[in-house]
Amino acid sequence: MGSVGGIITVAYLVAGVLFIRSLGGLSKQDTARRGNISGIIGMGIAVGITAVAWATASSNSDGSRMVAVSLLAAALVIGGAIGSVLARRVEMTGMPELVAILHSFVGFAAVLVGFASYLSPDIPGRPAPTAGSVEHIVHLVEIAIGIAVGALTFTGSVVAWAKLRGTLSGKPVLLPGRHLINACVAATILGLTLPVVRYPHTTGLPYLIALAVLAGILGIHLVMAIGGADMPVVVSLLNSYSGWAAAAAGFVLANDLLIVTGALVGSSGAILSIIMCRAMNRSIANVIFGGFGTADATPPAAGAPAGEVREMKHDEVASLLGDAKSVIIVPGYGMAVARAQSSVHDLTRALRARGTTVRFAIHPVAGRLPGHMNVLLAEAGIPYDIVLEMEEINHDFPKTDVVLVIGANDIVNPGALDDAASPIYGMPVLEVCKAKTVIVLKRGMAAGYAGVENPLFHIENTRMLFGDARKSIEGLVRSPALSSTSASAA
Amino acid sequence: MRLGVPKELREGERRVAATPDSVKKLTAMGFRVAVERGAGSESGFTDDTYETAGARLADAKTVWGDCDVVIKVRPPKNAEIALLREGATFVAIIQPERDDIITERLAERKASVVALERIPRLTRAQKMDVLSSMANLAGYRAVVEAATNYQGFFGPQVTAAGTMPPARVLVIGAGVVGLAAIAAARALGAEVRAFDTRSATKEQVESLGAKFLTVSIDEEGEGGGGYAKEMSPAFIEAEMALFRQQATEVDVIVTTALVPGKKAPVLLPEEIVRKMKRGSVVVDLAAEHGGNCSLCVPGQTVQAGGVTIVGVTDLASRMGASASRLFANNVVQVLAEMGAGDKWKIDRENDVIRPALLIHSGEVLPRPKPRAPSPSQPAVIVPKDEPAMSIRPRDAPEAHAHPAQTKIQSPTRRAWGTTAGGLIVLAVLFGLGRFAPSDFLQHSTVFILACFIGWQVIWSVTPALHTPLMSVTNAISGIIILGGMLQISTSFDAASVLGALAALFAAINVAGGFLVTDRMLRMFRRDS
Repeated sequence: MGSVGGIITVAYLVAGVLFIRSLGGLSKQDTARRGNISGIIGMGIAVGITAVAWATASSNSDGSRMVAVSLLAAALVIGGAIGSVLARRVEMTGMPELVAILHSFVGFAAVLVGFASYLSPDIPGRPAPTAGSVEHIVHLVEIAIGIAVGALTFTGSVVAWAKLRGTLSGKPVLLPGRHLINACVAATILGLTLPVVRYPHTTGLPYLIALAVLAGILGIHLVMAIGGADMPVVVSLLNSYSGWAAAAAGFVLANDLLIVTGALVGSSGAILSIIMCRAMNRSIANVIFGGFGTADATPPAAGAPAGEVREMKHDEVASLLGDAKSVIIVPGYGMAVARAQSSVHDLTRALRARGTTVRFAIHPVAGRLPGHMNVLLAEAGIPYDIVLEMEEINHDFPKTDVVLVIGANDIVNPGALDDAASPIYGMPVLEVCKAKTVIVLKRGMAAGYAGVENPLFHIENTRMLFGDARKSIEGLVRSPALSSTSASAA
Repeated sequence: MRLGVPKELREGERRVAATPDSVKKLTAMGFRVAVERGAGSESGFTDDTYETAGARLADAKTVWGDCDVVIKVRPPKNAEIALLREGATFVAIIQPERDDIITERLAERKASVVALERIPRLTRAQKMDVLSSMANLAGYRAVVEAATNYQGFFGPQVTAAGTMPPARVLVIGAGVVGLAAIAAARALGAEVRAFDTRSATKEQVESLGAKFLTVSIDEEGEGGGGYAKEMSPAFIEAEMALFRQQATEVDVIVTTALVPGKKAPVLLPEEIVRKMKRGSVVVDLAAEHGGNCSLCVPGQTVQAGGVTIVGVTDLASRMGASASRLFANNVVQVLAEMGAGDKWKIDRENDVIRPALLIHSGEVLPRPKPRAPSPSQPAVIVPKDEPAMSIRPRDAPEAHAHPAQTKIQSPTRRAWGTTAGGLIVLAVLFGLGRFAPSDFLQHSTVFILACFIGWQVIWSVTPALHTPLMSVTNAISGIIILGGMLQISTSFDAASVLGALAALFAAINVAGGFLVTDRMLRMFRRDS
């Protein structure tokens, strides 16, 4: 037994190191795939060794062992199969949904592990602590925390998933007195820990279930109150929570690898949330407890600078692009919605064949997931070295002939730069208005999710190209102004 | 609806109120267009091109007498008014304040008359604003005229034969004309400074790369309707001192100062012109209104003490082709606003047309009170509602671009926050260390160290890979599968089932997360 324990510890150490390497590898495109493989190996070692140890440690009769083994095997095979199918089927535009639902699974698993541990605290390698001892109390508190965080992650992620799919409206649902509701629910969850700890054996189970339900309600309520375009923050925050849930499960089970991995994932999600919040010039508290689209935002119609909008037709835009030396394309969520990325790639190819410099400018919160635009562009086959971050490209706009804004709104709003009255004043934005000409592809004249009027649409050097983004871009590519010359160049 | 485009009679006027392009648009709008023979020849539009565009060629009599609507550039002469069909609509620049009887004569013909120069400066009406489009041309052309008369380079030259400094250009008045002149002079490479009594123009001037000159006296020159007002004597004195000093330094002065309804202010009296270097050039864009330079002769280029003073009054006409195109487009927009060919209506309630409507079916209308300009808008001779944005966007203010941001990320505040947070965590840990079981402490140590490692590692992840990062963390947080596995015991109970379920969901994560990450990462490719 002792030697097995030692082997497990070493295996967990190796797996932990591989996970760290995996995350580290993702820092650059060159090493990213190696990083992913490190993660897979780490996971393989951890699961394999645990399975072997578990199988050898079981000491009961062969009959019931077979049941247990087949139960585990079935769980692994079914889960693995579902996961593979999901991974293969998902469209890149649907990545936010997949990520959200995977978070919910971790949360759900954490809840299940918590309950299982409550019902049967005896696990291999650690006997159940004697009732009433400090160890036992600590163990029960750990279970309560694990279940609460897990349930919150689970329901929150499911709501986020539904919002991202469009099953639920992206609009924030704001109950009156919602801060008070949140506070009461949170207090009750804390209060429920007491009977869970005090009642002997498993008699506290109803309280534990109530606690899980309340935490679940809290999760639903918190995410319901958050608007569609704040989703990058919410998803990364839930990413973080799923990590903390795993770490809490690690405490429950006294498993260091779970703790380490959970902590890694937790801090990763936290950092992503911070990056997203900085990109919107808001604090995390402001995102979670509401800001835009809520009571303190100005109504979009009143006081909006109703200005003139100049429309342009496909052919005019095409000839403008044909004459341009440098073009920057700014994609937003609208590009994902219209699934326009491959048309964008065709356009890029056509322009580059003419010798035009084409680059992409990505705002950190473009889309519904951190880095979402990069993945979509990569899917379409656009090389990643012409896809630049906001800081890298912002000072190049004044030297740019044409900027193509595809389905983005708030992230290019010049009001954030110079209009102190604008609700998004101070948010770092892509300064597209400095370019010679800005073409905005848009379905219609709706305001962005923040309900903020965008003065970009009314300035002198902006032209609008209305319609579905994909059809518009396909129209541009087919337009004689672009296609003829590119054909002769090819 | 029949629409007539007569030839301009005034000498030196090259513009025409419709171009072949605009004829196409007008025809599409439901007008049957008749163009007088030779109407566009001065601007380079031949009769053939009009005909191809769908116009009928006609003589002056038909164009004036047979059409429901007549469009023109300059105010009509008496002979022309006499030809106008009774009850027709006439659209042109009228300037009734210059000619007392023109309104009367037009009213006699029972005409409806739209005076293009009175189209109000609403954002909506910007596309119909002939004054702005013509002013833009004039500003540009003024610099071209200055360069023609100036005997040096505008832009700096570095040649084997020596280095030439750039010409120094002073633009007085930063309205549409002034700003266009600044832009043109900058484009030629000159060093440009500008002066305007309205401080709101400073930003626009600077955004075009020119230096904004100021006087020490603080007085706001913002008048109504986007124009400047007359200034106090003290201010004018200070202004003159500034010009006197500038005159010795600059090579070219372009003056564009106008006060509505008054003779143009004299900004360059003879004594200041005498101070200028020999070979310098003054272009006086206010020549038609009396001139900003006392030596200016309207319509002529004169010499005074080695300084060339250009007093042209037909700058827009000198760019006949471009001017006609812009003017014609403005007119098309006005006619579209009036309902075009099929829904034609002279609407006295229309807030764009009404102020310009001088006469309605022979009834002379009083001039409506101009709407009070909003005080916050910087006044320039561009449309009221968006002057700032239309000039500034190329150079939004850097200095206060991210004030609120720095508030959140203030490093000292963050340092304090971290320190305080660290102290609290330490205190809690010491408290725990006193009472908590050692097992728990050991796990906490691992946990905290892992948090720090994660913190260090993740910050270096490039934003482009944030989505793969999330999916890979999805996968590795599936490590909770171990928790599920450990709960499955050989005694087949509730805990085992829960554990198995947990393992199932975690397995979805592990498989799904890693595979989708791999799929995504395969897509990222470098530019070959």
